[in-house]
Amino acid sequence: MGFLCAYINVQAQMPNDAIYMPKGTVCVGTMYTHSSWSQYWENTLKRENLNIGTHTTQSVMVMPAIGITDRFNVILSLPYVWTKTSAGNLMGQKGIQDFSAWLKVKAVNIKGFSVNGLLGASIPVSKYVPDFLPMSIGLQCRVVTGRVLLNYTHPKTGLYVTAHGSYMWRSNINVDRDAYQADGRVYNTNEVRVPNAYDLGGRLGILKQKWQTEVWAERNSCVNGDNIRRNDMPFPTNNMQATMVGWYGKFQPKALGVNARVGYVTNGLNAGQSTSYMVGVLYLFGVRK
Amino acid sequence: MKKFPTILKYSSLAAAIVVGIAACNKDIEEPQRVGYSPVSVDDKAGTWKTYILASSSEVAVPAPSAVTSTDYVAELATLKGLTTNLSQEQKEAVVYWGAGAVYRWNEIARELSARYNIPPASNAEGKYPVPDAANPLADPKFPFANPPYTARALAYLSVAQYDALVSAWNYKYKYKRSAPSKVDTSIPVALPVSALPAYPSEDAVIAAASVTILKAMFPGEVPYLEAKMKEHLASRQWAGMNVTSDLTAGTDLGNAVAAKVMGRAKTDGMGAANNQALTAGMIEAAKTRGIKEPWLSQEAPLRPPMLPNYGAVATWNFDKTTLAQIRPAMPYVVGSAEWQKELDELKAIQNKQTREQARIANYWADGAGSYTPPGHWHRAAANAANEAKFSEVRMARTLALLGTAEMDAGIACWDTKYFYYTPRPQQFGLKTSVGLPNFPAYTSGHSTFSAAAATVLASIFPEQADKFNAQAKEASESRIYGLIHYRVDCEMGLKHGKVIGDYAIARGKADGSGL
Repeated sequence: MGFLCAYINVQAQMPNDAIYMPKGTVCVGTMYTHSSWSQYWENTLKRENLNIGTHTTQSVMVMPAIGITDRFNVILSLPYVWTKTSAGNLMGQKGIQDFSAWLKVKAVNIKGFSVNGLLGASIPVSKYVPDFLPMSIGLQCRVVTGRVLLNYTHPKTGLYVTAHGSYMWRSNINVDRDAYQADGRVYNTNEVRVPNAYDLGGRLGILKQKWQTEVWAERNSCVNGDNIRRNDMPFPTNNMQATMVGWYGKFQPKALGVNARVGYVTNGLNAGQSTSYMVGVLYLFGVRK
Repeated sequence: MKKFPTILKYSSLAAAIVVGIAACNKDIEEPQRVGYSPVSVDDKAGTWKTYILASSSEVAVPAPSAVTSTDYVAELATLKGLTTNLSQEQKEAVVYWGAGAVYRWNEIARELSARYNIPPASNAEGKYPVPDAANPLADPKFPFANPPYTARALAYLSVAQYDALVSAWNYKYKYKRSAPSKVDTSIPVALPVSALPAYPSEDAVIAAASVTILKAMFPGEVPYLEAKMKEHLASRQWAGMNVTSDLTAGTDLGNAVAAKVMGRAKTDGMGAANNQALTAGMIEAAKTRGIKEPWLSQEAPLRPPMLPNYGAVATWNFDKTTLAQIRPAMPYVVGSAEWQKELDELKAIQNKQTREQARIANYWADGAGSYTPPGHWHRAAANAANEAKFSEVRMARTLALLGTAEMDAGIACWDTKYFYYTPRPQQFGLKTSVGLPNFPAYTSGHSTFSAAAATVLASIFPEQADKFNAQAKEASESRIYGLIHYRVDCEMGLKHGKVIGDYAIARGKADGSGL
């Protein structure tokens, strides 16, 4: 997801369904994600960059989802991320990124219709450099996310429709330099304001006992921020936005399963037009009988 | 197993709350600067040696009206009216400008440098359009305020401020017209009032001189600069510091002195600094000196090197014969054992760059979108002079010594770079964690700028000498950690910069200030 990988890579892996692990069960997903772009939006200007060529972000993430009760799950995730370019001389960055924890509650559940509330928090777990964009693996923010997810699943066919929206409160960060330019001025400090963000998503799919397939669309956006200056590099203060569409599928006949996702950015601002795919292995087990 | 999920539930909830609270405060705190009474008003500064003016009385300033005259009494009444019923915005302007006029205009110039420090994008034909001073806001914007450009802009700014202030001090002590609040003690003042005579206003002198230089250096910013100056002059009246005739005389003096300083700027050779027709001859000349593999742009499409003829621009503190004499010796040639050893050092860093090495590289990078290394050192100098409570004229002297040293460092370094025309490590497969400058490697600009600056600042602030010298060394090494310079580029650049700084110090020792 290009510049957006910094926070949306993890975000997109996050629970965005109304599926719950039953009480006492854990599903550990191990996912590999590959996301690349060769064009990006510098402010509103869509362009290529011959000194970047194709920019690629890859990650491997471990994500256990834990059924505390049938209607309350905890989901954890920890990704290792690495970046590279096919041209130019910018050094790729790599490292463990941010640890996330989500609490997921089914608040209302009537005749296939459910209202779900999610509260997430993430903290960086390594001292990766946040402002060497687009090579940085993350933005070093601490993030709190509140999400409401509505779902209707037709009980007999498994046909479902999901809508969700989130708000992400993102902390200021510290960079290695003690002055930087943003908002058309120079800040004489190492503290950088990273804009808050929101997302909106819709999903349409079929969920069966052993498999799932869905198409989805998501809008990820900062609530404010500045734009990439003409021919300059991105910066954590940028108002990054992207609209994505894609497909997700899961096949889990028994304890062992696989999942996969593809996504494509159709529209953006201060972000790469990325194409991404994810493949994962799922393993379900009970922790008490 | 039962306990585990419960602990997890509550600990993650607690973590979310803590992180949430911490994430909420988005305010950015920056160090604040406030006005002060200078440790010395430097009452003899009217005799200090100027850079461009033949003497401090070269530009005439008419005698002011006497404080007992009806004109002046009327001015006092007007001033008194202007000090009352200030809006919050006006009060903030008083505090902002009250921190120091030289300080603020140097800061403004650094900010403009940062805003204009972006290399032009290539166009559809694979060419890089050259910024056009006659059309400064088109794409690419004029100027591309790269390190040599910024070094020069800040040098002329500081020299104009200094020459104009030395002149102002001459007339202040010639006419000895007191501050308005000393003539009429009922005038409320919002800033410390020193024993310095008020006519002509040093603030007006600085604002006018600064704006004249900066309009020429950043021609797309004329409305912005004029608005800043208007606010600056008005703030002096809101603060009860100057009557209108103090400001008018100061503005006229600042404009006239800066116009003379611009006379040098227009003929210093900068107009030919980007003469790309010279590079073929430079490469041939470097080859005759033994350079086997000359520098080649690593950008796509190939970008013409940055200001190849900047080395021919007029220097401040030494002449062109000296420039050639102090030029660093021949570097290690590609393929030699010494060169291989230094390339291997960089490869080792690339394989295992530590976080501390990355931090140092990032801290000193001062690349595109920043105020560049000369701006970095101007900031350090302005902060040190502010903390030492220097008078405006002494602060201008500090920045002029530093500014001329930085411009000399840029000229001498660029002369060296294009004399030897040596390749960057990226020509041999290295990556970079800070971005690759588009010009030859030897010697390191960061090293030369930083050593020259630290040498000057160590002389002016001897108690901080160790700190400045250590910073210069770190700035120099940062380019090794960022993988864009061989060690020899940095070490020889540091030595060169020290010599260049010493010439500025010699100038300062002979300027009659006794400082």
